[in-house]
Amino acid sequence: MVKRPARRSRWSRAFLYVFLTFMALVWLVPVVSAIYAAFRPYAETQKYGIFSLPKALTLQNFKDAWTQGNMTHTFRNTMFIVIPSIVLILFFSSTMAFAVSRFSWRFNVALLLLFTAGNLLPAQVIFQPLFQMFKATPWPDLLSDTDTGSLLGTKIAVIIVHVAFQTGFCTFVLSNYMKTIPKELGEAALVDGASVSRQFFQIIMPLCRPVLAALATLEFTWLYNDFFWAVVLLNQGDERPITSSIANLGGQFFSNDNLIAAASMIVAMPTLIVYLALQRQFIGGLTLGANKG
Amino acid sequence: MGCSCQRSTSHGFNIVSRRGLIIGTAAVAGAGLLAACGSDDKDSGSTTPATDAAGADTTAAAGTDTTAAPSGDAVTVGINEAAGSVAYDGAKAGLDATGVPYTGNFVDHNSFQDNITSYLQQPDDVFTWFAGYRMRFFAEKGLAGDISSVWDNLPDFTEGFKTAATGNDGKQYLVPTSYYPWAVHYRKSLFEEKGYTVPTNKDELLALAAQMQADGLVPFAYANDGKWPVQGTFDILNMRLNGYQFHVDLLAGKEDWTGDKVKAVFALWTDLLPFHQENPNGRTWQEAATALESKEAGMYYLGTFVSSNSTDQEYLDDLDFFNFPELDPAIGADALDAPIDGFMMAASPKNEDGAKAMLTAIGGLDFITAANAVNPSAVPANSKFDSSVFTPIQKKSAELVGAAKNIAQFLDRDTSPDFVSNVISDAFANFHADPSTIDSILDDIETQKSQYL
Repeated sequence: MVKRPARRSRWSRAFLYVFLTFMALVWLVPVVSAIYAAFRPYAETQKYGIFSLPKALTLQNFKDAWTQGNMTHTFRNTMFIVIPSIVLILFFSSTMAFAVSRFSWRFNVALLLLFTAGNLLPAQVIFQPLFQMFKATPWPDLLSDTDTGSLLGTKIAVIIVHVAFQTGFCTFVLSNYMKTIPKELGEAALVDGASVSRQFFQIIMPLCRPVLAALATLEFTWLYNDFFWAVVLLNQGDERPITSSIANLGGQFFSNDNLIAAASMIVAMPTLIVYLALQRQFIGGLTLGANKG
Repeated sequence: MGCSCQRSTSHGFNIVSRRGLIIGTAAVAGAGLLAACGSDDKDSGSTTPATDAAGADTTAAAGTDTTAAPSGDAVTVGINEAAGSVAYDGAKAGLDATGVPYTGNFVDHNSFQDNITSYLQQPDDVFTWFAGYRMRFFAEKGLAGDISSVWDNLPDFTEGFKTAATGNDGKQYLVPTSYYPWAVHYRKSLFEEKGYTVPTNKDELLALAAQMQADGLVPFAYANDGKWPVQGTFDILNMRLNGYQFHVDLLAGKEDWTGDKVKAVFALWTDLLPFHQENPNGRTWQEAATALESKEAGMYYLGTFVSSNSTDQEYLDDLDFFNFPELDPAIGADALDAPIDGFMMAASPKNEDGAKAMLTAIGGLDFITAANAVNPSAVPANSKFDSSVFTPIQKKSAELVGAAKNIAQFLDRDTSPDFVSNVISDAFANFHADPSTIDSILDDIETQKSQYL
């Protein structure tokens, strides 16, 4: 009687391992073959196929991808867009979350709903009106590196869109987290004479560091990977972020897949680094605010 | 409360232990940002990305731009090729040879095309585009500038090219640069080895395909990744069965997609599919071209750009093509797809004089000679171009197109671009997934057509 369930669980365990190994392999095949292809010259894979044994392994694709994709330049563009966006998103959403979670006010829920609902609109649906709004908004050329005379075509427009779009989600996560911080902390501060802004900056914000780090990781990955807004709002190839570098390497008819694989590896690197650096916060952050504790 | 404190302390500890890394990352990123501010504001507005782009091979070009920039009235030119391709190098060499000061905006081909309607809201003075419905469509919407005055100074183009550059209102909107035909490609050595001959009518074509199959070859290499390559096959079957005018009318929305003529095209197409590589939807044209190169497939109907897939000179010398044979003697075989590329002007360019000067220069010999020296893949449209420098493929292309009575642009250039990307591409892909559903597919096309045309 004791043995039977043990045997059964051993079998189910074995099955689980076989299943997991199989799934892991299935998921790894595309990634590994892309990495493998990235190290091989195009002429070779073209002739012998992607899964053939290597005749020559080279870093040339990475070098070419970097230079032909103009990645020094596009990476700078990406950082110009992503970093201010994240700073603004986290600032706006934490102030908003602070207001709706720490103070009881009639429109708390309505406001929170409004902010979250903004996330549900697909970008493709509202890009036309946004496009026209940016086009109609005058913007001095001195404040941008283009000469369009309007916000359209400037990286600032992309930053604005990102901030507007992401603030809702971050507000939602942050407010849920802030609700878990005991009310007594705020009350004690109030008794000691701390103003609202002091409560925010010196009590609540330090306690929110884990969730802020988690959000920063997520947002970095999302904004870094954005291609849609960059292409729609930035007409000049010069202004576009690193995601366009991969697109640049595909020709009208002919595309060197090995080169593109190498470019994808390079482009994926920074998100991986950010993720690894903030991994613990990221995983901790996922469950933050999942329950009120 | 105790619980909550504990949690935050433990997280606080994590932060401290990783703070170094976070600060370090932020510092690196911040430095990048500063650098971005510094260089972008100064450079990008006035020069081409060539200065930033990798550059040993573009240094000469970058030099020209720098001299051009200070004049202040450089023409802005939008090019649908990004650094790193031969097409980019060719376009750049051509533009440099015009001597007109310009600032290039180089964007990769596919996103330039997908984004063209947004692009035209804020275009460069001069930009690359295609002849055909796609050109006339933008001209009619007032999104392209009238360049009839430029055409007064373009003596080198034949009447056919002028017609191709003319909008519905009779004015010119495009300066053509080059074109390339679609034809049946094959390897001379394979045909010699097996004793095949070039087919000139339907019976010969079917006999050849059957023979190839008996010899263990796939008669036609075939691919449809990206959902555009099979549009070429549709075009040629349609033009061979129903003629050029029907092609034009069908794509202008004047003919019925559910009518007998279109059904006949798909019936023949269905019959021919067994002679093609299976499951084309997941295959890139490069993979299909590789099948031709490795002699797994006997023929490949594609644009002459098929040669750009290989660097093997022996194969390239062996590669040849013939006109798609006639299928109906009453219709003949004198129409084909040969898309024309060119340049247009923005509806209201910032620098109109410069734009017109640039377009006149693009229509001149210096531009095309310099561009062709770098990128001889298509055939120059300029009739004064020195044909003695043609590559064998260019020479044959020019002869093939010269002998044709009617030149079509290509399905997705001869009709509304949205109609193709939203309706036709998927419809053709679905047809290849299951040819038996063609009737309902054609019904769908016919119902949706009115939204676009």
